[in-house]
Amino acid sequence: MTRIARRPLTPWLLIVPSFALALFVIGYPLYNIVFQSVHEVSRFGLIRGFCGLDNFRKVFADPIFMASLWRTLWWTLGVVGGTVLVAVPVALILNQDFYGRGVARVIVMLPWSVSLTMTAIVWRWAFNDEYGMVNVTLQRMGLIAAPVHWLATSTLAFPVEILVGILVSVPFTVTIFLGGLSSVPVDIYEAARIDGASGWQQFRKLTLPLLRPFINMAIVLNVIYVFNSFPIIWVMTQGGPSNGTHILVTYLYEQGFRLGKPGEAAAVSLVMLVMLFAITALYLRIQPREGGEA
Amino acid sequence: MSIDRRKLRRSLVCWAALAPLVVIVLFPFAVMFFTAVKPADEVFVYPARWLPSTFRWANFSDMWVATRFGVALENSLIVSLGSMLLAIAVSVPAAYALARFPFRGKGAYRQFLLVTQMLSPILLVIGLFRMAAMIHWHGSNMVDKHISVIVAYAAFNVAFAVWMLSSYFATIPRDLEESAWLEGCGRARAIVKVFLPLAVPAMVVTAIFTFINGWNEFAVVYTLIRSDANKTLTVQITDLVAGRYTVEWHQVMAATLLATLPVSVLFAWLQRYLVKGLALGAVK
Amino acid sequence: MKVCLTQRLTKVAVALTAVGLAGFLAPAAQADTVRVTVAYYSDQTEPYFKQMAAAFEKANPGDAIQIEMVNWDTLQQKLQTDIAGGSNADLAIIGTRWLLDFVKDDMAEPLDGYMNPAFKNRFIGAFLAPGQISGKTYGLPIAASARALYYNKTTLTKAGFPEGPKTWDDVVAASRKIKAAGGYGFGLQGKEIETDIYWYYSLWTNGGDVVGKNGKSAFASPAGIKAATLYKSMIDQGLTQPGVTNYSREDVQNLFKQGRVSMVISAPFLAKQIKKEAPTLKYGIAPVPMGTSRATYAVTDSMVMFKNSKVKATAWKFLDYLFTKGPRVAFTSNEGFLPTTKEEAAAPQFADADTKAFVNLLPSARFAPTVTGWEDTAKAVSDAMQSVYLGKAKPADALKAASLIADKALGQ
Repeated sequence: MTRIARRPLTPWLLIVPSFALALFVIGYPLYNIVFQSVHEVSRFGLIRGFCGLDNFRKVFADPIFMASLWRTLWWTLGVVGGTVLVAVPVALILNQDFYGRGVARVIVMLPWSVSLTMTAIVWRWAFNDEYGMVNVTLQRMGLIAAPVHWLATSTLAFPVEILVGILVSVPFTVTIFLGGLSSVPVDIYEAARIDGASGWQQFRKLTLPLLRPFINMAIVLNVIYVFNSFPIIWVMTQGGPSNGTHILVTYLYEQGFRLGKPGEAAAVSLVMLVMLFAITALYLRIQPREGGEA
Repeated sequence: MSIDRRKLRRSLVCWAALAPLVVIVLFPFAVMFFTAVKPADEVFVYPARWLPSTFRWANFSDMWVATRFGVALENSLIVSLGSMLLAIAVSVPAAYALARFPFRGKGAYRQFLLVTQMLSPILLVIGLFRMAAMIHWHGSNMVDKHISVIVAYAAFNVAFAVWMLSSYFATIPRDLEESAWLEGCGRARAIVKVFLPLAVPAMVVTAIFTFINGWNEFAVVYTLIRSDANKTLTVQITDLVAGRYTVEWHQVMAATLLATLPVSVLFAWLQRYLVKGLALGAVK
Repeated sequence: MKVCLTQRLTKVAVALTAVGLAGFLAPAAQADTVRVTVAYYSDQTEPYFKQMAAAFEKANPGDAIQIEMVNWDTLQQKLQTDIAGGSNADLAIIGTRWLLDFVKDDMAEPLDGYMNPAFKNRFIGAFLAPGQISGKTYGLPIAASARALYYNKTTLTKAGFPEGPKTWDDVVAASRKIKAAGGYGFGLQGKEIETDIYWYYSLWTNGGDVVGKNGKSAFASPAGIKAATLYKSMIDQGLTQPGVTNYSREDVQNLFKQGRVSMVISAPFLAKQIKKEAPTLKYGIAPVPMGTSRATYAVTDSMVMFKNSKVKATAWKFLDYLFTKGPRVAFTSNEGFLPTTKEEAAAPQFADADTKAFVNLLPSARFAPTVTGWEDTAKAVSDAMQSVYLGKAKPADALKAASLIADKALGQ
């Protein structure tokens, strides 16, 4: 490995383009958010004066904020957990050689082909009390007697939104897992089978450890995307009824673009950043050290 | 013969296991399709029905004209392809560095990339707009230009691309390059002749991920692109629905369906690269 | 738009240079481009403004008007982004409820200097007033609407109210009969924007008020509790559509158009929609049902000029043009709004029974007061009403909680 030591600059040079690009695009907006969070900002984005941590204080004093914070944790746990639970078996199945596998893979990936906003709009429409196809189909099949008011109460609406969230996250996650599975060398399974290992043992001892880096990547990225996922909840219930489905990002949007409080919205955005940072750092820290990568 | 029967049995089992998911996935597409082919006055008929009385295929052509679909399609393609190429171009070297070199900044760099994903786009775009408005370009500024969107998308996709590529690159054994090196290839040539061919599946998968992200993205385009001539499909279609007093649902559904076609075609092509052992099969 | 702007400015620059070089003695033509942000009302909105722009450009050669259309949902966000980026338009349509913030931020150009008494006199006073703050005019009423009760003539006649219900007791009685016949009586909105307004109809007509004379919230009064209890009891008795909190205004209107709900309170544009989408539906328009007094909600959207505009004189000319008879009549009748200028009101297009029904309600109309904290109040009240509709809170408690939030916001 002395060859590598001879050129200490090489890795740095290789990461410069991506680093510079990301820094350039994110840097100023991040600065802007931090700046706005410590200033009093008018409805239309004009700075009215420095106010220190006032925005943060106001935000933390708002009971809706705290409720949204907890709900965001439930939302993230529900969607990411559900997604992984669904995606692992689905990826394993799609990795098998069977007739129509190509078709099955395309179908499973279809939710990803629609923009999140349009998916939310279509599902909102499908869950409409009177003419939504969910109620119509369930009634036709005799599973329910009268239309169910899916989105009228937060007790029903929030789980529905979580299910939609899982549905749209599965394709991405399945694809990552399939990518990971495709990198697992075939021969080790041969050897294991010769040694008499059962299917389940093969999975636990061979597949899972090799898949782990990809599972970690899927979990961390999904946690970040889902935590910040705006369209599903906003389109279906706007965080209502009665703030019953607000998560931090919809709360942020309402503060910034409906109630005219961009400074507080910026404060919420920073709180979210800190939370995400802590969560992902914690998760990565508790992973067993790997040689190699991810 | 027996192999076929085993495969057949396996197929049935697999399809049966996948059935619930398949139904749920196809449900909204069915809703979209049947609404798209309904005549306008049947969309809200009561009691609601799945099937239209006639299949009004003309909705698709009406929609194409009314929503300036062709222009929006072109813009979506430009923006998605551009950001895909840029993201791959900067991410492959970085991923190679992460996979092959141990160096001190590795952890910090990874953390940095993750942080770029953690900021909610909702507020990020305001800062982006300001930046674009401040940068001078060809006599005006960077607002309403494809290149701004391409650069922004590429930057947002770098974190995922680098992570995905480096995870995959790490599974490609070093010895292949090193033996090529030992046999007298220069380091760079070893990479090009030995490493890159094996890295192609990962690069293709990652490229398609970034393409899809660009295709479906909304917030950035909505903020940066102003003129109708430059709008992408996501913005154009959402504009048909958001905040309108009357929505032409049949057109909206038709537009959404058509917008999913290019990506679906890509999927059909992509999934070939996800076959078990493709990469290492080549070695044998 | 920016691309066109570049090309246009280049053309203009070249033209100017040519003119300048051609003759120093010849007066140089002032060629301005005015950018206008307009809000989407219907399919007719953009074609209308483009037409007006073309007509103006023809009458004022060299000047150009650029129209950018934005959905209401995202108008505030777009304006915020533009203003923050220093690239806002010269004129914009805004919700009059935002005017106060505009003025506070010193973004709005006072228009009194441009208006002569004749111009001011064009307007119907009640509609001009919301655009005035501290005696200065900042916004001109480009769109105005009021609310009335639409009722399904067929089912209401069967229920014994051929002219529509007059009081809330009538509404309850009619709904009972309609429910017995298998339909829903009163359409109640419980979701999204204007959920609070939908309740204010009951509040105002029962003698209550949203903001009191002292500037503090006044809806947690006995009148408010009565108004909230009225709606809740209607929901409990099945006199409204079920699942109220899942119905936005559009959803309730759809039910009305389908004939499933027999009464809904809405704006003039619903009549146009019914004629187009449900032409066989027989409907009538009555004033908002009375409790102890008569009231309705009226709302205007204003066109404002930005203080940082560089082409104010030309922008004013365009504004002036938009508020003359021809353009006004075309706009208002296309969109189904109410006339805001006197000349419009006299035009034959607005002599039909539907428009007259709305216009007659204006004397008892209430506008949203231009106070800071109105939107926070609206949200607090909407949240409270949603809790009440869901049975999660008693009217008195919910209103009290909302009034605390509202007072904090209004006090600033």
